[in-house]
Amino acid sequence: MTTVATPDRARRSARRRRELHPGAWWLWALGLAAGASFTLNPVLLVLLVVIAGLVVAACRGDAPWALSFRYYLVFGAVIVALRVLFRVLLGGGNPDAQVLVPLPEIPLPEVARSVQLLGDVTVDEVLIGLYDGMRLAALVICVGAANSLANPKRLLASAPPALYEVGAALVVAVSVFPQLAESVRRVDRARRLRGDAGRGTGAMHRVVIPVLEDALDRSMTLAAGMDARGYGRSGSATARERLVTGALMLAGLFGVSVGTYGYLDSTAPPLMAWPMLVLGLAFAGASLWSAGRRVRRTRYRPPRWWPAEYLTAGSGLVVAVGLKLLASHQVEVLHPAIPGWPPVSVAALVVVVVGVVPVFAAPAPPTGHLRAGEGS
Amino acid sequence: MIRFDDVTFWYDRATAPTLSGVDLQIDEGELVLVSGRTGSGKSTLLAMMNGLVPHFSGGTLAGDIAIAGDSIIGRPPRELAHLVGYVAQDPLAGFVSDTVEEELAYGMEHLGLPPQTMRRRVEETLDLLGIADLRHRSVRSLSGGQQQRVAIGSVLTMHPRVLVLDEPTSALDPTAAEDVLATIARLVDDLALTVVVAEHRMERVVPFADRLVIVRDGRVEVGPPATMLVDAPVAPPLVELGRLAGWEPLPLSVREARRRARPLAARLAPPPCERPTTRPPALAARGVSVRYGELVAVDGVDLTIGRGEVVALMGRNGSGKSSLLWAIQGSGDRTAGVVDVGGVDPGDLRPARARMLVGLVPQTAADLLYLETVDRECAAADDQAGVARGTCRSLLDRLTPAIPADRHPRDLSEGQKLALVLAIVLTAQPAVIALDEPTRGLDYPGKAELVRILRGLAAEGRGVVVSSHDVEFVAAAADSVVVLADGEVVSSGPARTVLAESPAFAPQVSKVLGPEWLTVDEVAAAMPTEVVR
Amino acid sequence: MTPTRPPVAVPLTRRSALVLAGASIAGLVMFLWPLLITPAAGQSRVDQPFVFMALMPVVVLVVIAELSEGGLDSKALAMLGVLSAINAAVRPLGAGVAGVELVFFLIIIGGRVFGAGFGFVLGCTSLFASALLTSGVGPWLPFQMLCAAWVGMGAGLLPRRVTGRGEIALLVAYTVVAAYAYGLLMNLSSWPFTLGIAIPGEQDSLALVPGDPVLDNLQRFGVFTLLTSFWGWDTGRAITNALLVTTLGPAVLATLRRAARRARYLPKENS
Repeated sequence: MTTVATPDRARRSARRRRELHPGAWWLWALGLAAGASFTLNPVLLVLLVVIAGLVVAACRGDAPWALSFRYYLVFGAVIVALRVLFRVLLGGGNPDAQVLVPLPEIPLPEVARSVQLLGDVTVDEVLIGLYDGMRLAALVICVGAANSLANPKRLLASAPPALYEVGAALVVAVSVFPQLAESVRRVDRARRLRGDAGRGTGAMHRVVIPVLEDALDRSMTLAAGMDARGYGRSGSATARERLVTGALMLAGLFGVSVGTYGYLDSTAPPLMAWPMLVLGLAFAGASLWSAGRRVRRTRYRPPRWWPAEYLTAGSGLVVAVGLKLLASHQVEVLHPAIPGWPPVSVAALVVVVVGVVPVFAAPAPPTGHLRAGEGS
Repeated sequence: MIRFDDVTFWYDRATAPTLSGVDLQIDEGELVLVSGRTGSGKSTLLAMMNGLVPHFSGGTLAGDIAIAGDSIIGRPPRELAHLVGYVAQDPLAGFVSDTVEEELAYGMEHLGLPPQTMRRRVEETLDLLGIADLRHRSVRSLSGGQQQRVAIGSVLTMHPRVLVLDEPTSALDPTAAEDVLATIARLVDDLALTVVVAEHRMERVVPFADRLVIVRDGRVEVGPPATMLVDAPVAPPLVELGRLAGWEPLPLSVREARRRARPLAARLAPPPCERPTTRPPALAARGVSVRYGELVAVDGVDLTIGRGEVVALMGRNGSGKSSLLWAIQGSGDRTAGVVDVGGVDPGDLRPARARMLVGLVPQTAADLLYLETVDRECAAADDQAGVARGTCRSLLDRLTPAIPADRHPRDLSEGQKLALVLAIVLTAQPAVIALDEPTRGLDYPGKAELVRILRGLAAEGRGVVVSSHDVEFVAAAADSVVVLADGEVVSSGPARTVLAESPAFAPQVSKVLGPEWLTVDEVAAAMPTEVVR
Repeated sequence: MTPTRPPVAVPLTRRSALVLAGASIAGLVMFLWPLLITPAAGQSRVDQPFVFMALMPVVVLVVIAELSEGGLDSKALAMLGVLSAINAAVRPLGAGVAGVELVFFLIIIGGRVFGAGFGFVLGCTSLFASALLTSGVGPWLPFQMLCAAWVGMGAGLLPRRVTGRGEIALLVAYTVVAAYAYGLLMNLSSWPFTLGIAIPGEQDSLALVPGDPVLDNLQRFGVFTLLTSFWGWDTGRAITNALLVTTLGPAVLATLRRAARRARYLPKENS
């Protein structure tokens, strides 16, 4: 596909305010999240969270979704706390481990025979709960970083062609959303004009039905408008293409099902695990591509991948791949022994710190009303 | 360019065809104005041109429709997008993207045009419609007139050969409507498009129209505007005046009529002069202010509504009309001020009691409706007001007879919906009735009917206050007018004085015959008998 | 008005059904993994399968691509968008109160009126839209999406002939079952993430013991669910949604059917 001729060089040199491609942010964040899933080392996990926080602080805009990061931080803390608490409450544990706080065990009825309530709190179980919780928290926080960095509407707009329709439905949802509050307020006010200040199901009925009718009317007008402007135009695939798509989909799903089972059941032949998963994923990806071929649609000013995008996404990838490699080469660093101080290696630190690249690579986010557009 | 060949169309479950035996030929480069009463089938006629009818509405179509020589029977709207650009009434409801630029490009993306072409056409269209400075703005932040221009632009980028506009100004205030109509007129000149437009402000479009199509009782008549208007069912006051005076051919613009009017003006009896009447007040409001955070919507307004008086509130969109009506009704916010209805302030009462003092029909009247049939709505209204069963239904029959009892309220026409809501509000027997922009979606006969209803309510001794920016409606309905700007009263007084004072608010008859005259009915009353046909 | 069968907005062809079945099996394996997992012979400890967090989205995407493969009708699309927006708006309403999760109501009613395919997609888009709008995208999202999609699909597969009060009773019963099933599945897949996985040598815990007999693990899981979510979240969800179906159900069913009727596609051109 040809692209619009623009004075590329001038644009690239001047680091104008613009939004980084939402896909780049997601790849970066997913890379960090994947990296976090490969390690239990608290030092590395804390470092990952700090990096995610740094990047969010440096690169987020003033959009409403940019403020959500703190909720993920709180949620992460809750995860860690819960995990440790459950360990203490219900964790049995190794009888040889060092006891931190001696507590009596509470006897339970026979039904719950396998459960031990309270009992001595050991260093081991607290640390295991802590590390495990930190890993899950770091993963959640990394995804949260993407959430507050990437513009959700533009993410939907860059959905692959095969998912275009559902993406469009979501765009409709996102646009209708603010109007709903307006509609509810208006109907609720009108309700009082009928002398009905009541509560309960009757009152709910009197608000829900007009709001729903209003929203449905709006959706039909919108659908008519979209259709009249060419939405869904002659996007039918040939029978052959459809056959290929269908076959790829079924093969992909079969591969993923078998691969998942093989992954879980270690008594299954090793060929059923990873190779099957990878094959299934490949087929599934190909089927998405194949299903997208029917869509004959061009993009006006498509969001493009500039070097900043590649650097951002690449840094995430480096973290994921690096930690995966280290997981087999430096087991003692990535899965520290318990109890004891977690060891740290230079290689691991370097790999994790790569994640901070977007702070320097990403352009400054646009402000105000330029956000939704391609601020130029 | 467009050919209808013996086209008949039924909606599902309809007893009679909406359109029957339509034969119509529209040539390339023509501007055709479609007119007819609300519900006459003119929207159906327009929507057939791009397949929205029957593909979207359901229904049965017989006959043949051809655009640019090819039959479009069986082709859905999306397959006609490159040929026919269709612009609906409410632009905001049809927007699919965030910014003006993306909205303009949306159709082209679906046509699969190459990016350079898209880029070029977007720039051309931005310039053509004079909206280049809005390109990055969010479509929701635009004013009504700007939104409608963007909506027109968003189909123009597809370079259609036919542009179909269904009442493009019905949701706009007068200034914005002028803007949009001027834009359409320019497009006809510049682009050599075939344009089909349904428009109730006919007088603005008629001067440019090559032909007028009148839809009446499922039939379609075509002809040059001046001859077609002689017995058109929907006619602006200007044409009514021309009919009354027996002018041949009918005047199509105010300027034309003014030239003709000199001899008429000389023969007319002296204009009616208002006797200042003192009425006991039904509602007296002092120093009403409404503030939403930083925004001052209404600022220290005094308002008196006498018994048997119809007061009109006028002013731009956002000048505080609605806020004032809600504030005096009692259920809206009020920051300061007192309202007195028979010694009681409705703001101090519970909603169920306040509505017995002041009844309000809100702008989107349908918000009050939530049941499945007209009858159940009426029964609920009787219970809520604590009156005998059947009160609401008999009120409704007096306002608009013959609304089927088992009809779904949402399926009623705009006029019928308004009547139903008004009946529900009246069931509580309020001393004062307030209506917020009731003329939206009503055609000239519908407005005349509303005027009759409001005058009837006033004659019963109620106070009536109505907000509107429809000058002709206010001229016919109101005893006095209050003009708001920025939440303050800028002028108030008898309708004749206030309307004639300002060029922006002068009705057509005043523009033609001078400030003493407001409506065609007044002129008719003052006509020397031998001229009246 | 007798509720006639409205057009199925998202058609389910035999092929889509196959893809749906394949995806459901893959999805179910990922939900039930704690019961299936067996540690390798020499492995000392088992990690949670984070890889499923990457696999699940792919499975969901493939099904959605298949269901919209014929090109989603613009009416179905707009309806999806609006219903998802409403669901996204009501979802945070219950966030403060345990178990008041209002999304299921519309997903079930939507699936009932517009069919299984629509219900499935509505389940996915509702949760995704809600996550996007309230910034709640997390690794749990694809799991919730698939589960909600099953709920919507199931509602579309209920017997069509039942009408009137019988229909409401049927929907209430289904809502209760669906609410508990949703809770159980979500719990099962997150149980080892919440409690961790038992380490060999550790006894007497509520955590998953990989490789133990399924029944033993199920018993631990049962206790875990009873202790954590059953009384609060799951029961609350069942009660609130069943109440909604009873009170608002008839009116909302009628409203959606009216919209479906209005949007009927019937070009019976006699050319």
